[in-house]
Amino acid sequence: MAPVVPRSGDAVFANVERVNAELFTLTYGAIVRQLLTDLEEVEEVNKQLDQMGYNIGVRLIDEFLAKSNISRCVDFKETAEVIAKVGFKMFLGVTATVTNWDVEGTTCSLVLEDNPLVEFVELPDTCQGLYYCNILSGVVRGALEMVSMKTEVSWVRDMLHGDDAYELRVKLIKQVPEEYPYKDDE
Amino acid sequence: MQFFGGSAAAEMTPSPAAPPGTATGLAGNNANMLYIFNRNGVCLLYREWHRPLHTLDAQEDQKLMFGLLFSLRSFTAKMDPTSVDKGNLGVPLLPGQGCSFYSFRTNTYKLSFMESPSGIKLILVTHPKTGDLRDALRYMYNLYVEYVVKNPLYVPGSPIKGQQAELQGSSRFERVEGSGQQVHKLPILDSNPIQGKTNSG
Amino acid sequence: MIGVGGKIKQYSSVLEKPLSKGRQEVSLSAFAFLFSELVQYNQTQVDNIAELERRLEDAGYAVGARVLELFCHREKGNRRETRLLGILSFVHTTVWKVLFGKVADSLEKGTEHEDEYMISEKELLVNRFISIPKDMGTFNCGAFVAGIVRGVLDNAGFPAVVTAHFVPMEGQQRPRTTILIKFADEVSQNIYENLKRFIISGNWKGHLLNKYAIKLITVSLET
Repeated sequence: MAPVVPRSGDAVFANVERVNAELFTLTYGAIVRQLLTDLEEVEEVNKQLDQMGYNIGVRLIDEFLAKSNISRCVDFKETAEVIAKVGFKMFLGVTATVTNWDVEGTTCSLVLEDNPLVEFVELPDTCQGLYYCNILSGVVRGALEMVSMKTEVSWVRDMLHGDDAYELRVKLIKQVPEEYPYKDDE
Repeated sequence: MQFFGGSAAAEMTPSPAAPPGTATGLAGNNANMLYIFNRNGVCLLYREWHRPLHTLDAQEDQKLMFGLLFSLRSFTAKMDPTSVDKGNLGVPLLPGQGCSFYSFRTNTYKLSFMESPSGIKLILVTHPKTGDLRDALRYMYNLYVEYVVKNPLYVPGSPIKGQQAELQGSSRFERVEGSGQQVHKLPILDSNPIQGKTNSG
Repeated sequence: MIGVGGKIKQYSSVLEKPLSKGRQEVSLSAFAFLFSELVQYNQTQVDNIAELERRLEDAGYAVGARVLELFCHREKGNRRETRLLGILSFVHTTVWKVLFGKVADSLEKGTEHEDEYMISEKELLVNRFISIPKDMGTFNCGAFVAGIVRGVLDNAGFPAVVTAHFVPMEGQQRPRTTILIKFADEVSQNIYENLKRFIISGNWKGHLLNKYAIKLITVSLET
């Protein structure tokens, strides 16, 4: 059997079924609106968006692995590149750039110049503290956790807050080995 | 039961004649059982097509199967003659660390195994003479993604149930084994009962 | 195509940014996962299926209202449909095509009631990945799409009650989804109101109008 070769982001995106980005963008807008109505506090909305992203990440990782033919994710540096070039491309049709590595090689930035979530969006004065795209940080955190990398993900630049790009800071806390899950026997 | 019997032993031991009712003689399904586990050892799906002998209750059975795979993976990585990075026996491995095995065969069955980096484990137990099922397993992983993971009502980590698991899921899973059978016409013997796939860099 | 050339463009306000042509795409799974989360989140907010459907419909409504604005601007040069059949076919054709990549399978008029219409889809995008457990009975994720339809219709001046239903089909394993549109009684009244507003606005010049409209114009110009 021929070895399975990981596929490039463009190749995967060209082969998956796609939908109009507006359906996606407007649906996301409807979700944020619902959360703002339900939770009232912007801080709570940020938290809920992050949680929803995490839930998505936990599911999405399997699709990502299945479609991209990636059979292992062990090295953090390699994984960050794969997320940026294949992961973002495969789902959102855009690629991110990995930059600003720290000396230890455990913290880096994912920079997005195009972001389909924010088409049509401008933050009203009442929502200045809102991280509109917080779902993305949750997705990255959730997906990485499923491949045993515990991370902290936060926004350092956000175009909706007047910055020149979207920048996610990803910090690897630890890699979790696979444990034998049953406690009651050896 | 032999796990590590060399190929000679495997060839010398005649495979048992297919018992009446096994699908081996018929076109299509020659699978005995299918298990899908997640990284926490939860059995997400169990299906059996031909399993005349049950010695344990379902829960014990699943636990034992998961334990077997867990230990076997640890053993195979430890015994890898080509890799320096093999960890210590009993010390948990990172998923994807070290080599991994993808099938073993006894004189009565063959177990094919696939693990995703996210810790989803697919196990297919078939007639011992079944050929390479890695493609079939990967296809099943894709089905799991399409029909389980994307279902808005599915809660990750819970056993797969509901109409879709019945209709879409397992009938397709069955079809996979059917196609596996057709693709790999019997008898095909693997050269090694345990094939260690070394993941290099 | 998104991301070509890797440009960084900064607009001081979203208003300065040119409105996209709507040709960008994301993967279907990205939408499926987002939609899953919409469903799962709303499940935590409700006690029963009817409430869950209502909340999905609300979310859809918000989408529909924006879809109307956007598409009218883009596809129709800011003209709005004022005829009932016109707006229905706009939903069935334009809205469906842009949002779901295809025209809806069918648009039919109800046989039992005058004011009922049905848009049917063999496999509605949002129902594509779903399997309904028995304890959720008649739950239909299509409520979201029903909401989109209601959002479009309502904001175009045609209030309606819109619901989603599974309809079993002979020889098919999966039922199709029918979006049932029941126009409120005031709709016919609304058509009139709408037309009147339209006529008074003077935007009708150059439009093809039917006899009914011409008569209305004459009447309203006289009054």
